[in-house]
Amino acid sequence: MTDRSVSRRRFLASTSLTAGSVVAAPYVITSKALGDATTPPASDRIVMGGIGIGNMGSGDQGAFLGRPDVQYVAVCDVRKQWRDGGKDRVDAKYGNKDCAAFVDFRELLARDDIDAVHIATPDQWHSVMTIAACLAGKDVYLQKPETLTLREGPLMIAAARRYGRVVSGGSQRVLEDYRTIVEPCWAGEIGTIRSADLSIGPPPMACYLPGQPTPPDIDWDLWLGPAAWEPYNAGRCDGNFGTGGNSWRSYIDYSGGSMTDWGAHNFGGLIFATNLRGQQPAKVEYHPRSADGKDGAYATIVYPTGVEIHCNRPQHLKPQKPSIAHERGIQITGDGVATAATPVPAYKGQGGIYGDFIECVKTRERPFRDIELAVNTMTGIHMLAISLRLERSLAWDRATQAFTGDEEANHLLDRARREPWII
Amino acid sequence: MPFDTATLDAPFASLKAYDWAADASAFKPIDDAIVATQSDAAARSDIERRLIALLGPDTSRACKEYVCRKLALIGTAAAVPALAPLLADGDNSHMARFALEPIPGPEAGNALRAALGAVGGNLAIGMLSSLATRRDAAAVPMIAPLLAAGGATAVAAATALGAIQTPEAIAALAKADPLAGDAVARAIVDARLACAEGLLRRGKRDEARAMYDQLATAAAGKPAARAIELAATRGIVACLDTTTS
Repeated sequence: MTDRSVSRRRFLASTSLTAGSVVAAPYVITSKALGDATTPPASDRIVMGGIGIGNMGSGDQGAFLGRPDVQYVAVCDVRKQWRDGGKDRVDAKYGNKDCAAFVDFRELLARDDIDAVHIATPDQWHSVMTIAACLAGKDVYLQKPETLTLREGPLMIAAARRYGRVVSGGSQRVLEDYRTIVEPCWAGEIGTIRSADLSIGPPPMACYLPGQPTPPDIDWDLWLGPAAWEPYNAGRCDGNFGTGGNSWRSYIDYSGGSMTDWGAHNFGGLIFATNLRGQQPAKVEYHPRSADGKDGAYATIVYPTGVEIHCNRPQHLKPQKPSIAHERGIQITGDGVATAATPVPAYKGQGGIYGDFIECVKTRERPFRDIELAVNTMTGIHMLAISLRLERSLAWDRATQAFTGDEEANHLLDRARREPWII
Repeated sequence: MPFDTATLDAPFASLKAYDWAADASAFKPIDDAIVATQSDAAARSDIERRLIALLGPDTSRACKEYVCRKLALIGTAAAVPALAPLLADGDNSHMARFALEPIPGPEAGNALRAALGAVGGNLAIGMLSSLATRRDAAAVPMIAPLLAAGGATAVAAATALGAIQTPEAIAALAKADPLAGDAVARAIVDARLACAEGLLRRGKRDEARAMYDQLATAAAGKPAARAIELAATRGIVACLDTTTS
């Protein structure tokens, strides 16, 4: 629980004391520490560590490691292969063996010298780790989907705000992939937007895989973390981005499935284009399968401003001439009466969403995908998933963060975390 | 037309034998029936009764886990007597909480509180986690002494009190030293800040301000408590902002 400047000074003081008490080594300032034309001096670099260095985590690591204004010092992963690989990349970059490697994220967060962490674990860990990181005084770049349950979001926002932390969600696509719909919408070209259609992937599935011998290179209990204990099976924890039963992203204990995985991008891009990121939906209207069976069930997310987002609406019910469309299954319909243009929010700094985060760590501004905007995005998708699961319409009270008049739906606001994890 | 629960006889028979290696498609009719009976109280009650019957000693951990997942959605007070004994069972405690945590009414809270008094270690932390989520005000007298337990239990107790946020919870947190510098003290400060935020959210600006002032004063001038001073100062500023509730 330290602010950045304090922790850095305290770390330097304690390091000097420790070194001095062990051996009277000469104090040498290396050229790397002083920086050069392309590298800031060590005192101006953001000291980072990474938690979850697998598929997406290694990509995030590479992005941060490649920045001259970042000093990358530690990795954490419950799997040896990812942990070792992450450490090797850091050591190779700096030409030393200094990168620390941890199995337990709490040990990494306990290091006072680390300013910021990136987190790319399975989703059941996101809230626990993000809140713990904020409490430890770290800024956080958190891979999407940022939340697994509806209760988690407000607690993550509160932790970020309480300690003045920069917490950025991790969907780089929201700004970068949807420009062709974002820019015309913000330019006012299609007028006032009342309705949109979105193709969104399926929710997660239950996992019934049998047990297998647990290999020695994984801490299975820490991999599961707050999720229900299940026997090890490679199919639970291997794989990359598959959501068809071939990856942890397929299963409800660890992920919201494709609905939240790609939904964070696709739904996120749509509500960015339509400037709804600051809102949470008022309700979800469930539309059952048609009596003749030709039309599948779908749902409509309705915002307080009246904007309707139809999710997986049958093609013949969609406007045949939408104002604008995107190849990833988005179409938006405006009233055609041009409105005043509004500047499109942009990344700060240089280097995409990673540069945006680092710049905000330096300036203490809120990042492009600030945790509150990310939570708003995920809230809409979680509401959609619950409506489709229960096959009924739901109303949402943002003030109480609960469904109105539906006790059963409120049973799904959260799920008990396996001990000893608590948020 | 009322749902014919006899159609679930075979799926329930399969579920009774389930041990993580069964054909999961055999249970799908149970999942479907739970959704289909949302307006059929009699059928729901029958499904719940059948699920409860599988929580005894003759079924596997995997079977109980499946049952608890379903009871988390449709469970009522009727399920509590069968779930309560599992709370002290290391293999099944979490999933029993998984089912109990969202069940409304006093019965589930009573079971969690009774278990908190009977178990220790991680299982007690689990009870604290669920009581925190339920914001169980009646648990405060049991939780408050755990602030002195030290270690992870005390951290969890502080977190729970910070979630419950009743005057009694706030009073219990106020008795602990916020500047001890260890993980427990850090959790206690965090809980006090959460309580102050809750007060401010509920329009109790003066009470929130008093809590922030206490923390800011205690931390003032102490380098190791700089983050506490900053957090409390942010809170004071929020209290001064009359545009917020």
